[in-house]
Amino acid sequence: MSTEPEIMDGDDISVAEYVLGVLDRNQHVQMAARIAADPVLQAEQVFWESRLSGLDTQFAETPAPAATLSRIEKRLFGAPERVSIWQSLALWRGIALGSVAAAAMVLGLTVMRPAPVTPGPGVQLAASLQADDSNVKFLALYDSSTGNVKLAALSGEAVPDRDFELWIIEGDAAPVSLGVVPVDAPSAVTLTDAQRQTINTGTVFAVTLEPKGGAPEGKPTGPVVAAGAVSVI
Amino acid sequence: MQNTASDITDLLARVALRDRAAFSLLYQRTSAKLFGVALRILKDRTDAEEALQEVYVKIWQRADRYQQSAFSPISWLVAIARNHALDILRARRPMADDIDAALDIADGLPNPEQATVANAERGQIDGCLDQLEADKAEAVRGAYLDGYAYQELAERFDVPLNTMRTWLRRSLLKLKECLSA
Repeated sequence: MSTEPEIMDGDDISVAEYVLGVLDRNQHVQMAARIAADPVLQAEQVFWESRLSGLDTQFAETPAPAATLSRIEKRLFGAPERVSIWQSLALWRGIALGSVAAAAMVLGLTVMRPAPVTPGPGVQLAASLQADDSNVKFLALYDSSTGNVKLAALSGEAVPDRDFELWIIEGDAAPVSLGVVPVDAPSAVTLTDAQRQTINTGTVFAVTLEPKGGAPEGKPTGPVVAAGAVSVI
Repeated sequence: MQNTASDITDLLARVALRDRAAFSLLYQRTSAKLFGVALRILKDRTDAEEALQEVYVKIWQRADRYQQSAFSPISWLVAIARNHALDILRARRPMADDIDAALDIADGLPNPEQATVANAERGQIDGCLDQLEADKAEAVRGAYLDGYAYQELAERFDVPLNTMRTWLRRSLLKLKECLSA
């Protein structure tokens, strides 16, 4: 019994464990990142998801509480603000919240948002960056001990004569540029000490499409193509 | 209520085009199933209702991705609900699992239309699970349907954690052979 797990250490079975949901949170997040980077594991995930979905009939239908649909519609469509796009914190926040929900799929993180926590040394934060109406997706990993932000594009293509620019948005402050980032290769940025002080679990990373070389005045001018809030992993 | 796969696919396509009426209809057709999923895994009505709201927000945001998937539309929706509920559970752990509460949730019978949709897959997975020892099959079902992670499975079957891990991995290996056949 003691040596069996090593013998059966196949990735295909790890994907099955991931799909089944038996891994703990850290293992689950790590597996999600590995699957996101590997088409073979993605095929394995589809295999298990489709085969196990045969069990779905055993979930009993139960009518949801009557008010739920109107609550959902209020969340999705309720009183949108139309302010200038870059002044609208509601928009940035809305994007961030939406992306956090989406990030749950990619990273296996929860949508429940605890009060912002500024990480101590050696804490890893991650954000999945995406937005509606955009196929550009980035995964950002921040290591508080080094101040390094590693960035990998999961999907998206370079746009002729334009550049993608990475921003951090902290609370009510204006977005701070971390520079132009490639979409066809992983990249890394080291934060300044001042920037490191501001990073907490509510911080939003966002990517905008800007003129070649980046936004000329250090303020975003193009559309947000991906955004997400960081969480501890 | 008519819930053929093509109806749901059609509604998802309209939702992807930001058709709010289609979204409302999709909710009416599918929310009982997805609420059942959230309730079975979270075992609390308030939590399940909150989860259901978040699940439909995701469905609105991601309806355009359905076309690329290999699933029946209802399986795709169930997967979103199931994964979301599991995320909530994972965030809560470690925490004692309330096994008594689990027993309060009736299993009920599947909806006949949906049973037809999933019939081929269900026949296959059930047939393959039947080839495992009964408690091993029960562990796989407990993980999929009730969201039990390794720790909870080990407690429920009263075996050490590593033994549970070995059991389940070995069972999944056998299942894979059977499901690939």
